[in-house]
Amino acid sequence: MSVLVNELRIRSGKTTLVDGVSLEVAKGSWCTIIGPNGAGKTSLVTAMAGLRPHQEGSVSIDGVDVHALGERDRARRLAFVPQHPTVPAGMTVAEYVTLGRTASHGLLRAPSSDDRAIVEGVLERLHLAEFRHRDVTTLSGGERQRAVLARTFAQGTTVVILDEPTTGLDVRHQMEVLELLKKEVDECQLTVIATLHDLTLAGVFADQLVLLANGRILTQGPSADVLRSAALSEAYDMSLRVLSVDGADVVIPVR
Amino acid sequence: MSDSRQQRRTVIVSIAAIVAVVLAALAGLAIGPTPISVGAIVGDILRHLGIGHQQLSPLNATIIWQLRAPRMVLGLLVGAMLAVAGGAYQGVFRNPLADPYLLGVAAGAGLGATLAIVHDGGAVNVPTWTPWLAFAGALLAVALTWVIGGRGLRSTTSTLILAGVAVASLLTSAQTYLQQQASVQSIARVYIWLLGSLAQASWSSVTTILPYVAVCIALCVVAGRALDIMSVGEEEARALGLPVRRVRTVVILASSLGTAAVVSVVGLIGFVGIIVPHIVRLLVGTSYRRILPLSVLVGAAFLVGADTIARTILSPTELPLGVVTAAIGAPVFVLILSLRRGARV
Repeated sequence: MSVLVNELRIRSGKTTLVDGVSLEVAKGSWCTIIGPNGAGKTSLVTAMAGLRPHQEGSVSIDGVDVHALGERDRARRLAFVPQHPTVPAGMTVAEYVTLGRTASHGLLRAPSSDDRAIVEGVLERLHLAEFRHRDVTTLSGGERQRAVLARTFAQGTTVVILDEPTTGLDVRHQMEVLELLKKEVDECQLTVIATLHDLTLAGVFADQLVLLANGRILTQGPSADVLRSAALSEAYDMSLRVLSVDGADVVIPVR
Repeated sequence: MSDSRQQRRTVIVSIAAIVAVVLAALAGLAIGPTPISVGAIVGDILRHLGIGHQQLSPLNATIIWQLRAPRMVLGLLVGAMLAVAGGAYQGVFRNPLADPYLLGVAAGAGLGATLAIVHDGGAVNVPTWTPWLAFAGALLAVALTWVIGGRGLRSTTSTLILAGVAVASLLTSAQTYLQQQASVQSIARVYIWLLGSLAQASWSSVTTILPYVAVCIALCVVAGRALDIMSVGEEEARALGLPVRRVRTVVILASSLGTAAVVSVVGLIGFVGIIVPHIVRLLVGTSYRRILPLSVLVGAAFLVGADTIARTILSPTELPLGVVTAAIGAPVFVLILSLRRGARV
């Protein structure tokens, strides 16, 4: 048992964004949510992160309702990365990564030596040590996303939820970000829930895929079961073909 | 900028700010129509502390301790409060144009004061209950903004700012209407009140606002760490474990209450709240843990310095304080901006 979503329903005004979604993500596994723009992916993951109100259903981590927790308790259990993280001007990489320790040291106390040690460890692990004193806004797209991941890992949670973590990155840096996450999943039993637009990469990295369209789950399961041209073509309302290349399912659009 | 350079710069600016406060305070005591030497003043202060026997003449002692000292201390409090409130507002609204009057405090205080003065009719002095009505008006304005802006807890910062604009215009129109109905004498007094001045300072005005100002400044300064976290935006700050709404509520209440207390006693003094935090930011960087405490010092020194100029440069006439704060503050700001080109505002 790890993350459990039960009959989640989210409305905004009269529009239903997420319409009765249920899913289960096992501890130490990777679940990727795919689907066209407007399918409700972002609404779903922000609600799973406890940052957005929902009308019905529930989200729980190890049996604890995410929405019943205060900010600080929640931030100790799960970390969230939005699609476009804000990178504040005038903050060094080390200061930015230290933000991840907020829930641990609290608001009135400075980060402890433990907090600093954790931040140092993460900076080393993500090859950011040399950038420690650089202003975050001066980093390249790939370095910046690594700094965001470092902040997220510094939070020290067992669950990480990411909305489009590869946005705006070239293919090498997309792979780099996903490999770094995969390493944490394999070595530290991290539970990852992510949304992705690249269906091929989604299939390569996830243990479990969830195909969302119009706020509902069309199919979910291992990537081999979800990456089928019939289901994908229905979800995206266009012709898509799935080819098997070197053991990976490659999705290509058909004109 | 590397951390060690940043730290060294912060230490230097902090020492300079403390020196500036001491110099401004001494100048505020020494300079005036009756010049009294700094040595004599320091001697008298030391005598009060039980060191030495140097004494001021009775007349000079009265000038210093009953006229200039309360005015100087009030100036320190007002400058510190307005500057730290402006800095805190800029942090909580993540908006460089935010100033302490953003949520309608100034318009509410203006309406309250106008009511008091107009109601009093042709009296020579501003009625003694003017500050209380101004204070009530200021708090009422913020409360109104809070309610209209989405009952505080569910509101976003932009709805609050817009509600503040609406409330300020509404109250200003009411104030203008009252003023237009009043006698010429009353209008003149309202006008003078709106310009802001420390001329009415007394020890009782100092002790009246001290508790509010002390608590509110302390709350704003303590919020620095939280405001730094909020620089990643409200949603991400919540995801990091920051109780964003609670922080926002505390900062807005503290800034507004302190500003209301100050404004009700000295009128509307502009420019300090918006420019001092920016000057400090240009000098020491974007962290509110540095900006807010330094704004307290720089704001205090700046306002007392400006007031000393306001009351002496055209003596015996006093210049409106707001004129002097802008006339000094704007060039200083432009100078620092050009010297620190490339630093982030």
